[in-house]
Amino acid sequence: MPDPIVDVHQLRKTYRSLSLTGRRRIDAVRSVSLQAFPGEVFGLLGPNGAGKTTLIKMLLGVVKPSGGHARLLGQPIGSSAARSRVGYLPESLRVDRHHSARSALRYYGRMSGMTSAEIHSRSDELLKLVGLEGRDRESVRRFSKGMYQRLGLAQALLHDPDLLVLDEPTDGLDPVGRNEVRKVIDRLRDSGKTIFLNSHILQEVEMVCTRVAILAKGEIKAIGPIDELAHRDQQKLIVEVLGDAEPDWQAIFGDSMTADIESTRVRDAFRLSLAVVDQGQINAIVDQLRRSDQSIARLEVRRESLEETFMRLVGTDAVEDVAGEAIAGEEVLS
Amino acid sequence: MIKPYLAVIADSFHSALSSRILWIAMVAIWIFLAALAPIGYHEDYTTTFRWFDLDNGTQMKAMLARGLVDPKESETALGRLARTFPDDIKRKLRQVARGEDVRIDKGALADSLNESLDNEDWYDAEAWRTTVRLRELRELDEIPDDEISDPERRRRARLRIEAALPGVFTTMSARSITLSYAGFDFPAFFLIGKEQFVSLINQFVVPIMMDWLLGFALIFLGILVTASIIPDMLQPGSLHLLLSKPISRTMLLLSKFIGGCAFVFLCVSQLVIGLWLISGFRLDIWNARVLWCIPVAVFLFAVFFSVSLLAGLRWRSPILSIGVTCMFGAFVLVIGLIGGYFDALVRSPDRISQMSFDGQGIVIATRGGELKRFDNEANQWADVIEGDFRRRDLIVPPVRIAPGKIATARIRGGRFNLYGSGSLDLLVLDRSEDWKPNPGLRLPNGTRRLLVVGNRLLAFNNTGLMATTIEQVLDESGFDDDEPEHSSADRTPESGSESETESETESETESDAQDVSPNIEVSNIGVTAWITDLIRMQGGATEAFHVILPKGVTLTDPVRLDVLPDGRSLVVYARGRLMRMELPGGGDGDDAKGATAMLAADLLLDDNDAARTTMAAAGQSVLLARDDEPVRWYQADTLALLDEFPSPKDQTVVAAEGLGVTDRFALLTTDGSVTIATRSGDRVEWVTLPQSEVTAIQYDEQSGRLAIAHHIDSIDFVAFGPDANASAKIERAVRPSLTSWRSVDRYVITPLRTLTPQTGELSQTVAALVSGKTSFVMGDVANEEQEVVQLKIVRPVVSCSLFLAVMLTLSCVYFARRDF
Repeated sequence: MPDPIVDVHQLRKTYRSLSLTGRRRIDAVRSVSLQAFPGEVFGLLGPNGAGKTTLIKMLLGVVKPSGGHARLLGQPIGSSAARSRVGYLPESLRVDRHHSARSALRYYGRMSGMTSAEIHSRSDELLKLVGLEGRDRESVRRFSKGMYQRLGLAQALLHDPDLLVLDEPTDGLDPVGRNEVRKVIDRLRDSGKTIFLNSHILQEVEMVCTRVAILAKGEIKAIGPIDELAHRDQQKLIVEVLGDAEPDWQAIFGDSMTADIESTRVRDAFRLSLAVVDQGQINAIVDQLRRSDQSIARLEVRRESLEETFMRLVGTDAVEDVAGEAIAGEEVLS
Repeated sequence: MIKPYLAVIADSFHSALSSRILWIAMVAIWIFLAALAPIGYHEDYTTTFRWFDLDNGTQMKAMLARGLVDPKESETALGRLARTFPDDIKRKLRQVARGEDVRIDKGALADSLNESLDNEDWYDAEAWRTTVRLRELRELDEIPDDEISDPERRRRARLRIEAALPGVFTTMSARSITLSYAGFDFPAFFLIGKEQFVSLINQFVVPIMMDWLLGFALIFLGILVTASIIPDMLQPGSLHLLLSKPISRTMLLLSKFIGGCAFVFLCVSQLVIGLWLISGFRLDIWNARVLWCIPVAVFLFAVFFSVSLLAGLRWRSPILSIGVTCMFGAFVLVIGLIGGYFDALVRSPDRISQMSFDGQGIVIATRGGELKRFDNEANQWADVIEGDFRRRDLIVPPVRIAPGKIATARIRGGRFNLYGSGSLDLLVLDRSEDWKPNPGLRLPNGTRRLLVVGNRLLAFNNTGLMATTIEQVLDESGFDDDEPEHSSADRTPESGSESETESETESETESDAQDVSPNIEVSNIGVTAWITDLIRMQGGATEAFHVILPKGVTLTDPVRLDVLPDGRSLVVYARGRLMRMELPGGGDGDDAKGATAMLAADLLLDDNDAARTTMAAAGQSVLLARDDEPVRWYQADTLALLDEFPSPKDQTVVAAEGLGVTDRFALLTTDGSVTIATRSGDRVEWVTLPQSEVTAIQYDEQSGRLAIAHHIDSIDFVAFGPDANASAKIERAVRPSLTSWRSVDRYVITPLRTLTPQTGELSQTVAALVSGKTSFVMGDVANEEQEVVQLKIVRPVVSCSLFLAVMLTLSCVYFARRDF
């Protein structure tokens, strides 16, 4: 097992606020532990206010942890050495309006300690990569949201970081923009970069991430490869049987299975839904239906999606966490 | 390591240059500079008379009236000039001669004189030969008529008029400056030479520009533009990206701060460099020190921006930042104004300007026009003559005339009536009556200095020197003749017993005066009373005071006087002429009353311009310090130059005091310190005394100590041993208790001023940097009591730097510790 790029142990962040009504305490992140390994695209999932951005801010040294510890690329979080090897695309990137794409890259490159020559050569390459080639001298005032995000991605990659932290990289983008960003991430993954992706768009995460952590109320609810997170042993078989009258399921399947059967009328057929464990069980059910002369119109085996896994794990926490995020956004003291 | 921060600073410049407000400000600056560019000037001879050049209207009326009606004056310069006036003025002058109170408009007199400049029919070389002609006039007289230029001819005419009417005109520069705009002359002109013009620009115009243009307009504009820098930086999408970079938060904030100053730097640089180029090309003033305005203005902005920075960090709102910064500016302004009022109304009027001693008794005159005595029991200064701030009375420096007796006078409205029209009584203060003033002799009009020489009291005014005896002074003030001793006994024991009554010498006096006083003659037998009255109006001799100036001597401002320790020699400096005069009869001879002094030594100096001058006499030496010249040390008897050397610490000498019979001098310089100069062998040695903020020095002959007034109203005495190398012994003599207002000043206003950054005073720093001087002297060069303006250079810089450091530290700590 290689050394983790992101190594978080029992990291906590508590905000305290003072107001006329008294002191308030919000645990934004509660004892989070996770690891991301080289070459991985690690997704951090969670509803709004789950503590995802707070966790990322702690990893980047923007916010100081209240407890626990973490290392990035083997360096303590917040250290200059760690930050120098990280590329970060913040949520809702804001670039000063006097910049063009090229001057912005020059500015951020210098802040990363790059030389002018390095910046120049990398800028050409990256502007091409993110599709801003030819518009690099235009003022960012005329940039669309998607162009901003692409510029943000370019600046995050400028100093060729070992770890990319992308906070909602497709937020606000149209489907075409999302697709382009996804392609860039795919290319980066293929080139061996480690990516730490924070998003609440589950399909996106499902498409690009190799491992995910689901965060809710500041806690990790689950962590692992997407396939492992879903309940794959609880597949559902859906069969539609033609006929005007509902078949006698007890006669077909016997007493033992009848209790788990859900049957509904769908146009000229009856839809049968039942939990199955493996392919043998599916074959047996099909055999039984055919033996009783039932005409099968449609057959589908449905597995649990990431969204279903997410909803199963997070449940009603998502709603509660939004309120928690609103408090964390106030003037608070850590 | 520094690269990222340079990038932040460079980005701020980039940001400033993309700001529309910057471009609007730049266009405004260019328009301003373009409007200023056509300004120019030319230097001319001072020729035209203006009404305010006539310093002493009463004297002028009296002189002209005498020139018109006195048959003896018919062919003199005065008489010839008086006849050139228009008939209506001559009619009024004749009324003056008859003793009527007639008002003659100074403007009309000046206009008449101006007409005389172009038509010199009144001039007669023979008549003017007896007048006192300044070197400049003598040189112009030597130019042949066909070679003299028109401006030189008019200047010569003016000088001839001034020579015919000595003491009437204000001392002023031979050159005047006329400003022009696009080739058109301004109607007014400045009666100053090029050098003074440059000083005026450096000491007044540049600081005013700094105050209003740079200190107010641009700073306010700068705050408006830069208030959004920090709130913008704190936007999540911007800040988180910045903080994720491998840079220090503190350095990031400081870089943003420095970058924020870019706006003001860009504007101020253009303005100041533009003004510098205009003053160089158009006014021929290439003073690169003006460029100091750029860093000082940016520093001033930094002070305000530091407030905006902290407010922006705390509230993340540009509007709140601007509001808080404006409130801070208003607070600083109010504190500055209150401090200024306390300086002008509480501290300055209490400042000691003159001192006089009698044993343990101390009497002082203050800048506020008050005369005070020190009350030992109360440990406070008690009023002898109360001052009136609005009227601004002047106190003639008090002098000790006899044991327990000090003489002085109060010129009412003196600041506006320097040459004292109206009557002026000598006041004799009596120690036995707690220095109560007793009115005595009528002083010559416009007396501004009293001196005791032997048993004589000398009064100096703009017409010359007049003397009376101490006995007469005491008699007229109601003190017995049988005073146990008089001052001459203290000062010159050998002359103590030779005084005579004045009646015996009266007739001789008048005849002598006729011979020796060229301009103001005391009438002889047969001269009618109105001539005598006219002479009195001129400020000439009175019944008690008779003229003692030798024949051929006229005192032209600036005049400085001092008495040598021999008790009979007087050293006089009068505009480029240094003289030693000996009073007759050792001061107490039979001819004590009425006799004139003898000119024992006379020295014309190289330059006779009206430079600010200080002079003192001690032992066998005379010390002369003129503005921007080396200090000169003369042998008192012969006035031979013994030595000359630069003034101490390159400061201007504002007062000098001879230390009795020793050849040592105390010099008060513009930095408020006192230096003792001792000449040993061929070189002069300096010892600077520890006192600071010194306002006056006075040598007390009785005790042989030097009194040093410092820190407004404290006095130290310094005793010197006979050995020049022996260290001085300092005695803390007067440390008065604070009055109520002074307590408020010390315990409330001063701490407030200390804690508040003195941004307003930075204009003084600019004045010092631009002019290259840390202090300058204000007031008429003729007036011995000159006000020294100490430019506050270090205090505003230190107070602003400390404030800036505190604000930046708070901001950095807040930014570094806070979660965003």
